[in-house]
Amino acid sequence: MNDSKHEQMLIWVIRLGAFLCFAGWTWVHLYWEGPYGILLWQDSTYELATRFGISWDEFVGSGAEDGLVQKWLARIGWLYLICTILTLTARKGSWLQIAGLLGGSGLLAVLSYAKYVSAQRQLPMFVEHGGQMLMPVVLVLALVFGVRHRATIVTAMIAFVMTFAGHGCYALNIWPTPATFYAMTCVSLHVEYETAAWLIRVAGVLDVIVCIGIFIPLLRRSSAMYAMLWGFATAIARPVAGMSWSLYYWGTDQFLHEAVLRAPHFLIPLYLFLVWDKPQTTSQLSDREIL
Amino acid sequence: MKLQACLAIFSIGILFSGGPAEAQQNRPRNAGRVDLSIPQVDKKDIICFALYTVDHGILKLTAQLYPIADGDSKTVRLEIEKAGKWVEVAKSTVIERGWTAPFRVENWDDSQAYKYRVLHGTEATYKGTIRKNPTDKDEIIVAGFTGNSIQPVHGGDISRQDIIDNVNRIDADVLFFSGDQVYDHNRHYAAWLKFGRDFGAIIKDRPTICLPDDHDAGQPNLWGESGKISTLSGAADGGYSQPGIYVQEVERAQTSHLPDAVDPHKIGQGIGVYFTNLNWGNIDFAILEDRKFKTGPAGRVPKQGPRPDHIQNPDYNPASVDVPGAILLGERQLKFIDQWAQDWQDADMKIALSQTIFCGGAHIHGSANGRLHADMDSNGWPQSGRNRALAVLRKAFAFHIAGDQHLATIFHHGIEEYRDAVWSFCVPSIANLYLRWWEPLQPGENREPGSPEYTGDQLDGFANKVTNYAAANPEKKPAGNLLNTRAAGYGIVRLNTKTRQITMECWPRNVDITDPAAQQYPGWPRTISQFDNYNPPSWGKLGELTFDVESPVVQLVDAATNEILYTVRANGRTFTAGAPKGKTFIVKAGKNAADTVIVEKAMVGSEPKSVSLK
Repeated sequence: MNDSKHEQMLIWVIRLGAFLCFAGWTWVHLYWEGPYGILLWQDSTYELATRFGISWDEFVGSGAEDGLVQKWLARIGWLYLICTILTLTARKGSWLQIAGLLGGSGLLAVLSYAKYVSAQRQLPMFVEHGGQMLMPVVLVLALVFGVRHRATIVTAMIAFVMTFAGHGCYALNIWPTPATFYAMTCVSLHVEYETAAWLIRVAGVLDVIVCIGIFIPLLRRSSAMYAMLWGFATAIARPVAGMSWSLYYWGTDQFLHEAVLRAPHFLIPLYLFLVWDKPQTTSQLSDREIL
Repeated sequence: MKLQACLAIFSIGILFSGGPAEAQQNRPRNAGRVDLSIPQVDKKDIICFALYTVDHGILKLTAQLYPIADGDSKTVRLEIEKAGKWVEVAKSTVIERGWTAPFRVENWDDSQAYKYRVLHGTEATYKGTIRKNPTDKDEIIVAGFTGNSIQPVHGGDISRQDIIDNVNRIDADVLFFSGDQVYDHNRHYAAWLKFGRDFGAIIKDRPTICLPDDHDAGQPNLWGESGKISTLSGAADGGYSQPGIYVQEVERAQTSHLPDAVDPHKIGQGIGVYFTNLNWGNIDFAILEDRKFKTGPAGRVPKQGPRPDHIQNPDYNPASVDVPGAILLGERQLKFIDQWAQDWQDADMKIALSQTIFCGGAHIHGSANGRLHADMDSNGWPQSGRNRALAVLRKAFAFHIAGDQHLATIFHHGIEEYRDAVWSFCVPSIANLYLRWWEPLQPGENREPGSPEYTGDQLDGFANKVTNYAAANPEKKPAGNLLNTRAAGYGIVRLNTKTRQITMECWPRNVDITDPAAQQYPGWPRTISQFDNYNPPSWGKLGELTFDVESPVVQLVDAATNEILYTVRANGRTFTAGAPKGKTFIVKAGKNAADTVIVEKAMVGSEPKSVSLK
């Protein structure tokens, strides 16, 4: 494969990651509901609203009518839809679209913060969303500077580390392992709790190893390969464990987006695996392309 | 390489910024959150608290311990004081997962009170009193609690001393914790110990019934679905999110002191069942555990709202969610209630205890999320299951006490017509995690004069017939004083076995409930008759029956179908049975069981009759 095709492939891997991430969250917002309730039902949020002259009924609704909260919660989904489209249309130089993608990254950061607050401020909950939050940023950097640019690769590595470090902290029970980890493992692999717990601890150790491994030239490709497979497995575990022929739409509407929005968890490692695919000649390396 | 090194340090920093698990458990928490660390206690204080019940001559007591050090004995002893001397009556080996020590003592003499003490090693002693069965009391007092948030943001971080003081002032006979004693989804043990430190002073001296609910089991909502594993965030796919051994530990801590389960076959993941009954003070309490078999809605019913369990579309067809295969109470539970309804041995009144009420008991949830048409986490769904449960409960004239809703309410339930089934009292939260309001858009029909518009006959979001008599709605917007503006409190139910009256009281926190000036939430107190729990407006009366024995058990059987309409213990020597018009009934009666046919063809308007049961 020549360099041009290789770079095109890399950019499409990144686009696909950002596209699927935004598409999954668009589904959540438009079909289900964004996870912002925890942020909005706060005295401080209401106080902020009152500074803008917004009454209580206008803010949360009268009971019979929706308030600003409900209306804007529904509208956020359309912003996600726009970002989903931008992942496919944005090009180098289309600054408005690029700004939109960066705004999308901000939306994902707010969403991740809401999930962090609702998880009783467990740090790994925010950290493990790093891959999703930074996926649009990686795309922007790839478009603006190139897929092999240091900034693009470093940002992807940060996203990688955040995703797997956050996951590893939970898997190693440094913060309490979420019950769904055990549940998905038991149901997907048809194993008992004890086996599932052991497997999750092993996975946690491997999460740590790959976070370190991507900084070691000899290990970085194998680390990225493992992370890609593991990230895909953890994403697909949701529909695999939850979907059933007996459910409406086989449970697709309940579970499939859970895998789709986690696409950065395996596509960022894939991108890193591919970008480190072949040794660079000295002439190909510039001082900005060091990794 | 410098950049690589920085990134490596960054990644390792993220990984270990939390410290090891033990440190995580014990480190100081965010100032806005409560510290749930397990305190280091001296060996003499290793027993945290103890819960017990006595039923049909069996004492069951569970001692809850702090972690025992390696090498220390795992044996715990139970002694009672007889004639001034301590006598060992049972030993137990501590179950390390959860550090509980369950005791079971048969042939218990419940005609007198005994002081007891739980002992561990040579130093640890925990003392309390096993009460005598209060069969000589006219009034049995039940203190009902739910929703024990310990977070500052809910006003839950303050002392429970007001509750302790008030329970002692009224000398409650039974404590009922209907669920969400623990809100931490991963550290039940640590939170349960805190619960024990907060409430142990009243629990140790009186029978206590605990029903673990969704948060106790470590999930936001619970449709147990016979022990299935839930994988969906929110658990609306049914089953348990936490591993079976976690749920088993929770149930062992909270329910192993309850009377033996009537049908103890385990469900999925080795999780037990504990539905049973407790007879105390001539009150027969059915302990229902209504979450265990209930099926989850996700994928089972068409999507109607922003969550699989929420219905937001007011124009939806309620029948569309009452789907085949959706279960509320399991067949085993229904069979148990049916048998319980007919058994009036040593019972003057019947009370059903469950986690939540049999209707959609709120319209507005959490405020910021606004109006919700229906919530499938309530026992209003599935409607067929709800009707089956109420139909069997009303056969015993059972009054229903529950919690879970975070909103105190009184409902009179209806199946075929308004007010043709049992009454329920949903008690308020000890500290309210999540606000709800009962606020129908249309005023209720047939309201009592002067009562608020939200009372009266309504269809709930599942088109179930309900009649509201009171709702302790919280303030509409944040208003300080977190406990009482969020409608926190607890319920007191006075069961008078002499008059057969049931009085519901709903108290806010931090008032002296024996002070005549103390105010309850609007709508309380309310007193009903035991017999109001099955007295449909369309019914008439059979001829008065006069007996030659005191308070016999009477049963009506439909002569055409041979189905039991109801069984109840009459109050005194006369009884005027209510019954549907136009039907013929066989009336049975007996001193302690309705085993003698006393009228072959009774109808509404039939002649009075004297009956000898001697």
